[in-house]
Amino acid sequence: MNILEVRNLKKSFGSIQAVKDISFSVSEGEIFTIIGPNGAGKTTILEMIEGLVPPDHGEIQFGEYNWNKHAVTIKRKIGVQPQSSAMFDLLTPEENLNLFATFYEKARPTEEILQLVNLTEHRKNQVKKLSGGQRQRLAIGLAMISDPDIVFLDEPTTGLDPQARRNVWEIILELKKLGKTTILTTHYMEEAEKLSDRVCIVDQGLVVTLDSPSALIEKLTNEREVRLSFLGGEKASQDAEHFANALDSVTRTEREGASLKLWTIKPEDLLFDLFKFTKDKDYQVEQVSIREMSLEDVFIAYTGKEWRD
Amino acid sequence: MNNLKQFKQMFLAQLKLTLREKQAWFWGIFFPVILMVIFMTIFGGGSNDDFSTKVVIVNGSANETSAMMASQLQQIPIIEVADPVSEEKAKVLVKEKEVDAAIVLPESAQATSIKLIVNKENEQSVSTQVVAGVLSQFIQQANLQAVGATPTFQQQFETVSSGSSELEYRDFLLTGMIALSIAQGGLFGMVDLVDMRRKGLIKRLRMTPAKMGIFGLSDMVMRLLFSTIQIILLSLIGVFVFGANLFINFPSLLLVFLIGALAFNGIGYFISSFSNTNEAYMGAANIVSFLMMFLSGIFFPVETMPEWLQPVSNILPLTYFADGLRDSMVYHTSILATPFWIGFGNMLLWGGIAFIIGSLLYKRQSIVSTR
Repeated sequence: MNILEVRNLKKSFGSIQAVKDISFSVSEGEIFTIIGPNGAGKTTILEMIEGLVPPDHGEIQFGEYNWNKHAVTIKRKIGVQPQSSAMFDLLTPEENLNLFATFYEKARPTEEILQLVNLTEHRKNQVKKLSGGQRQRLAIGLAMISDPDIVFLDEPTTGLDPQARRNVWEIILELKKLGKTTILTTHYMEEAEKLSDRVCIVDQGLVVTLDSPSALIEKLTNEREVRLSFLGGEKASQDAEHFANALDSVTRTEREGASLKLWTIKPEDLLFDLFKFTKDKDYQVEQVSIREMSLEDVFIAYTGKEWRD
Repeated sequence: MNNLKQFKQMFLAQLKLTLREKQAWFWGIFFPVILMVIFMTIFGGGSNDDFSTKVVIVNGSANETSAMMASQLQQIPIIEVADPVSEEKAKVLVKEKEVDAAIVLPESAQATSIKLIVNKENEQSVSTQVVAGVLSQFIQQANLQAVGATPTFQQQFETVSSGSSELEYRDFLLTGMIALSIAQGGLFGMVDLVDMRRKGLIKRLRMTPAKMGIFGLSDMVMRLLFSTIQIILLSLIGVFVFGANLFINFPSLLLVFLIGALAFNGIGYFISSFSNTNEAYMGAANIVSFLMMFLSGIFFPVETMPEWLQPVSNILPLTYFADGLRDSMVYHTSILATPFWIGFGNMLLWGGIAFIIGSLLYKRQSIVSTR
């Protein structure tokens, strides 16, 4: 069942068309990730869905509810963690949660939320004394206090160290276990690949592609990148490149000193022929690897832009 | 019922935020107290009680007249008479400012001149004027005595003020300082709003079903409570440390306080609506505050300012706030008095217009949602 339906969203700020035409639907219980380069319109899309910015055109439907008629009902059903972890710095996590709890008719016990986001130990420290990761976890906790059906997490791990990022991932997977629907934006491909049920790539205000991470990668290409480096120095790699270029299975080559990159749709055949060649010539191969395609490649292929963390 | 619960929690949160904000304590409580103590000490407290001046007497050739004069001079309370010395020594003492003046008594019982020696640098000083005045009085008395006459006219001294009690400068200053503190509380206090907006906290609250009206109300009640603490603290210090006299009309005071505090918060709100950073806000608030501080009769009555400047004072809300506080705290003026209502009108107009323009600006920048 679709818990959220977005149809033909458009939004301009002055002469800039931030969101050109966005449609997608999110099913109950899934982790739905929106990724895109800076300025792609991610935050504007989220803010329209969250009811902060009215769209110029299009529909946003939470089941049977929409913003025009059921604003308060929707606000009770959603939990939002905005990009800037906005909270009262001079209050403690416990006080922040207690305050936010009063905004809702039903709220989960503060204790439970503190446990969920692993802040029980720090509940009595003022927020300004918390670390970046702890603040971010509290922001997720504040989004969870009303026990919402849909949770919006806008770049929840930006600026966190790897350990803190992993902690947030655990919380997001925990939300999934609780049956919550999560709509996530992120700057980290690894994160999108690991957490998402489906990924929606947006660029210049349009949906570029939308599917599960593995389907997206599969769809992209069958081509694989094979890397080799030779102990014999440049001469060996030069000869190998020359040899590979003559093979049908090789589409493209790239050489830098003793390292060689080959692109092929049949990596096994290529390696078989290549090793035969090096054995004949008595060249010694130092390293061999076949690179797996990642979501990052999908991103680059679709947007034509380098990914920057 | 839920609204009440929300208000209670929001007010509690505001209370904690204010109590934990060191800046609020410094600027709201400590700073006005220090400012008042400084001004009261310089301009207010017991200025005419402790004046005294030190003179030395030159009694070159002791005679009947000089002995009588010397003993009479000793009787004058504000003149401290040092041991007699020679005229040369006296001049040195005056030159080195060891004494304020030297009085050279008549050289013989028949001589009629009394010489006063003062330092040229101090010719116009208060001490010199006083000693010269006292001496000339003294000489006149001596002259009258010498011819056996009694004075025909005598001077009498009395002060008047427009109030029901005598308005002393310290009362004027105390009420002015209270007005200034509350006004600054409103002008500077709204920086919180800029900060909240900058951090995205207002946006965050709007994503919840929280009622922003209740949030605003709890914030306002907190500010009024803080201003009440200011008014009580400053009054207590004014009365008990500097001996100010207050005759408070409570209904009037309550109304002046409420309208004044709201008006200045309105102006603060207006400033917050166009300030994107805390620094921009503080800059604008400082300009407004400084202008009003010196043009609104806080430290000195508006009437003592150049005439061309007075119309400016007469449109500033702080002028009316300070006057209103003086009326209700010192003159015990009833709430029905006309000047009160002119003041209320002025403050309501300022506060109201500032608030409306502020709200429009907030809306235009879509900071406040229409939802």
